[in-house]
Amino acid sequence: MIKNKKFIMILSAIMVFALVLSACGTKPAEEGEPTGDKAVKDTLVIAQGADAKSLDPHATNDQPSSRVSKQIYNTLVESTVDMELVPGLAESWNQVDETTWEFNIRKGVKFHNGEELKASDVKFSIDRMLASKKVAHIVEAIDSVEVIDDYKVIIKTKEPFGPLLAHLSHTATSIVNEKAVTEAGENYGQNPVGTGPFKFVSWEAGDKITLERFDDYYKGPANVKTVVFRNITEGTNRTIGLETGELDIAYEIEPIDKDRVANHEKLQLIEGPSLSMAYIGMNNQKEPFNNEKVRKAINYAINVDDIITAVLNGAGQKANSPIGPRVFAHNDALKPYEYDPAKAKELLKEAGYENGFQTTIWTNDNPVRMQIAQIVQAQLKEIGIDVAIEPLEWGSYLERTAKGEHDMFILGWVTVTADPDYGLYALYHSSQHGGAGNRNFYTNEEVDKLLEEGRTAIDPEKRTEAYKKAQEIIVNDAPDVLLYYGTQNVGAQKSVKGFELHPAGHHSVYGVSFE
Amino acid sequence: MHKYIFRRLLLLIPVLLGVTFIVFTIMSFTPGDPAQLMLGESAPPEAVEQLRAEMGLDDPFIVQYLRFVGNAIKGDFGRSYTTKREVFSEIFARFPNTLILAAVGVAIAVAIGIPVGIISATRQYSLIDSISMIGALLGVSMPNFWLGLMLILVFSVGLGWLPFAGFESAKSIILPAITLGTGAAAIITRMTRSSMLEVIRQDYIRTARAKGVSEKKVVNKHALKNALIPVITVVGLQFGYLLGGAVLTETVFSWPGVGRLLVEAIRQKDTPTVLASVVFMATTFSFVNLLVDILYAYVDPRIKSQYSK
Amino acid sequence: MTSNVAKGTMTVEKKKNKKRSQWAEVWRRLKKNKMAMLGLAILTILVLTAIFADFIADYDNVVIKQDLVNKLQGPSAEHPFGTDEFGRDIFARMIHGARVSLRVGILAVGISIIIGGTLGAIAGYYGGKLDNVIMRVMDIFLAIPSILLAIAIVSALGPSLMNLMIAIGISSVPSYARIVRSSVLSIRDQEFIEAAKAIGANDLRIILKHIIPNALAPVIVQGTLGVAGAILSTAGLSFIGLGIQPPAPEWGAMLATGRPYLRYAWHVTTFPGLAIMITILALNLVGDGLRDALDPRLKQ
Repeated sequence: MIKNKKFIMILSAIMVFALVLSACGTKPAEEGEPTGDKAVKDTLVIAQGADAKSLDPHATNDQPSSRVSKQIYNTLVESTVDMELVPGLAESWNQVDETTWEFNIRKGVKFHNGEELKASDVKFSIDRMLASKKVAHIVEAIDSVEVIDDYKVIIKTKEPFGPLLAHLSHTATSIVNEKAVTEAGENYGQNPVGTGPFKFVSWEAGDKITLERFDDYYKGPANVKTVVFRNITEGTNRTIGLETGELDIAYEIEPIDKDRVANHEKLQLIEGPSLSMAYIGMNNQKEPFNNEKVRKAINYAINVDDIITAVLNGAGQKANSPIGPRVFAHNDALKPYEYDPAKAKELLKEAGYENGFQTTIWTNDNPVRMQIAQIVQAQLKEIGIDVAIEPLEWGSYLERTAKGEHDMFILGWVTVTADPDYGLYALYHSSQHGGAGNRNFYTNEEVDKLLEEGRTAIDPEKRTEAYKKAQEIIVNDAPDVLLYYGTQNVGAQKSVKGFELHPAGHHSVYGVSFE
Repeated sequence: MHKYIFRRLLLLIPVLLGVTFIVFTIMSFTPGDPAQLMLGESAPPEAVEQLRAEMGLDDPFIVQYLRFVGNAIKGDFGRSYTTKREVFSEIFARFPNTLILAAVGVAIAVAIGIPVGIISATRQYSLIDSISMIGALLGVSMPNFWLGLMLILVFSVGLGWLPFAGFESAKSIILPAITLGTGAAAIITRMTRSSMLEVIRQDYIRTARAKGVSEKKVVNKHALKNALIPVITVVGLQFGYLLGGAVLTETVFSWPGVGRLLVEAIRQKDTPTVLASVVFMATTFSFVNLLVDILYAYVDPRIKSQYSK
Repeated sequence: MTSNVAKGTMTVEKKKNKKRSQWAEVWRRLKKNKMAMLGLAILTILVLTAIFADFIADYDNVVIKQDLVNKLQGPSAEHPFGTDEFGRDIFARMIHGARVSLRVGILAVGISIIIGGTLGAIAGYYGGKLDNVIMRVMDIFLAIPSILLAIAIVSALGPSLMNLMIAIGISSVPSYARIVRSSVLSIRDQEFIEAAKAIGANDLRIILKHIIPNALAPVIVQGTLGVAGAILSTAGLSFIGLGIQPPAPEWGAMLATGRPYLRYAWHVTTFPGLAIMITILALNLVGDGLRDALDPRLKQ
């Protein structure tokens, strides 16, 4: 009996221990937490599907991080939601000669640590970008940055580089404070200091990031006092969070939930174009995809409209070119391949594959891509092509497509800078085969030449001409199947005013207020 | 007994070496290049190669492993490949969240499973027995994430009582802990019942009954203690399972635990994060195992006598 | 009824000659258990469904046939269980899913019982150094969260049906080893084992004839739940994107990919969910019945 009592005591002790642990772990309700019916609401809670990786803009280039960094930092040049380039931290600029640009830095801009923005910070930032493997490719055209005085820098490019201004509007080119970076050392990613409308307060890894209004912001203080970015992985749950009132804004509403949000009495659905393009790549160096007729047959056999309706619930626009209409020099005269299985069969026959062939399509486990793969599999079966779907881990996916081990694959590309150089050079220039971006292993000397011309020309008209021609040739060569340009959506409380979608996918909440 | 505990703690060292070695091997020999992953979709091959060299990924496997062990002994688990954070501090921040979730989950499971299992066994084939067994069946056959989503729909959306995600307040733990604990509760109920039934049929129980010992005393004194030996094993196993298997629950509830971190890290080939989280989990789990074995000794003197040999 | 004391030695001797009749006896007792027979009936139907799936629904023309216009349709005469997000017939997919899910569940558990059970029995029976070595290795494996092991194995071998089974099977080996060991520990010093030793039976024989049958009850309980658990683990792996290759139908994967539609098309997750539950129910009823029937101590 005594033993038995002892045992029960131990058992109770364990349970009490567990409960105490849980009690210790629970946090006191934080001030400023959204309760929904507070008199003055000044905390904006935003949910996205993944946690940021780092708030050091030069250390990462992923969407969740950039969305937060966008509130903390500014860039020299800014792009508006209409993709117009306007002055940011650079008040003005002019081009001295083909490779030399002069930037005048805005005076009186304060960093969150109280330091004033100087030309030396600009030089420091760009040099830092160039040294970062992660983002160097965005500024690789830059040869040197020279400080003229505290408010003027000269940027020299290696060769004439047309899209320089567009590249300097990329969130990865955010300007950091030299002192803050040096002080924080390796921990800078968790202690960011910028010039933006919100300053960093805290980061509970995997859970949320809290930002606070920066009162000395050079455009004037923002409307809301606190911004919280929460990490809500499941798409369904982001909608639920909006419905329960615990979230004010939720990024990436599941296609199936869109109507629910749009029709909800307290919610609004904000939709807009994005700069993303989804495509099915083919290994142009491998049989049978080295045969243009086969590639065209596949283009004719895939019903993109079906994919847009079934997978995206209509939230996409059929692509007619590798770059979308929001990108500079988009060629709107091009016609996409129409769904025509009969023609596809005929082309296959001409190519000598009358009885079709067996191949594989690779995808990572992105649910949208998995669904696309299954539809493509069913559609290609109609013309006799037997496709096996092979889902791969993202790591092996990138590695093996870079090595050219693949047949077909599904990927997307975001032309963040809205400049065709960003969207075409890496994907179609023959020097970029493999990991650099050209996973189709596509080679066309004429396209190479046009892409180089577009890159080095400064005159917008010359660039437009080169890029339009390049798009035409690429679409005609059909190195891949262009699927659609994505649309993005955001769900929000109706009380949220002034939220604007930026096509690049990172939206500034500076202008947001509550009704 | 103390000597035994000390010996077991000493054994933690080879366990941790074994665990890290296995995990390191898997991480090193599975496809996917961390350098390529860090640099993303468009990375010039030269940059990838250079980064590989800088990260020491070109060194022979055994050199890399020994370097890890050497640093780990000094308490340096390195920095995450993806976030550049110190792995140790990141896990230290997130591990308690998982531990709390698993502990509350197991506490719920034990609080439900053992009493219900005992009642069912002592009243075999009664209505209560049938109901609790059906309950246990439902509990174990419900996929975690599905149950979680249903709970959210009912208690967050429908009734508005509890938060739908994250770790915001004490209330936040209720739904994920129930989600996590349900399966374990069902398993513990079944195990308790079947083990009780087995023991009740043993000769010495019959003897006790035959001697006219009251039924209550038979159950409490003789049966329970013996019946709980396999149950303790299961509880220990379940705690470990919940610790590692919290991934799905953590995902459904956006719980900032180490399970989700770990799965993300595996997929990102973020070896430092994976190794450090596994070391944390393995250590905790080994302690739980030790506790289970000590409890064994308390409930079964035969086993205790072995230890003191 | 034989006296308790005599029972141990009696069974040892009887077992030699009466192996056949012992299993007949088990079957006779199992037949008396109505619930177990119900479970067995359900399992039989499931197994037959799995075997004859091709006769009920054609794989190429029904199971993986998409009809995007009719996606997410509720149950109707044409589609008794409705259609999924590709307009595929859920009923037909579930019929073929029985094949996939049962195979994953049973083979995965088979792998872990054979490996884990053997190791656990050896460790428990011999004790000492061997026990220490085996159980410490098990501790190492046990200390790695099973989901991590499964993920790592699947990503090493590539996601396929076979690799999924291996991954799930291997990751639960230590559980069986521990369970078998602890029940062997509680059996090995009992009188009928000593009696067997006394009449000169060798170790292998004792393990096979006495220890294992006696340790079977907890393994069966755990094993029946384990098959179910393996089906659920597959669903879990699908949930984090490591399930079997589409478009193959598997109940867990159907449940996992159907979750965004939970609030709009109840049938997409409900029917596969029910299929899983019924299968688990049947497995449990049979498992419980078997345990009662196998238990030598129940012998009248």
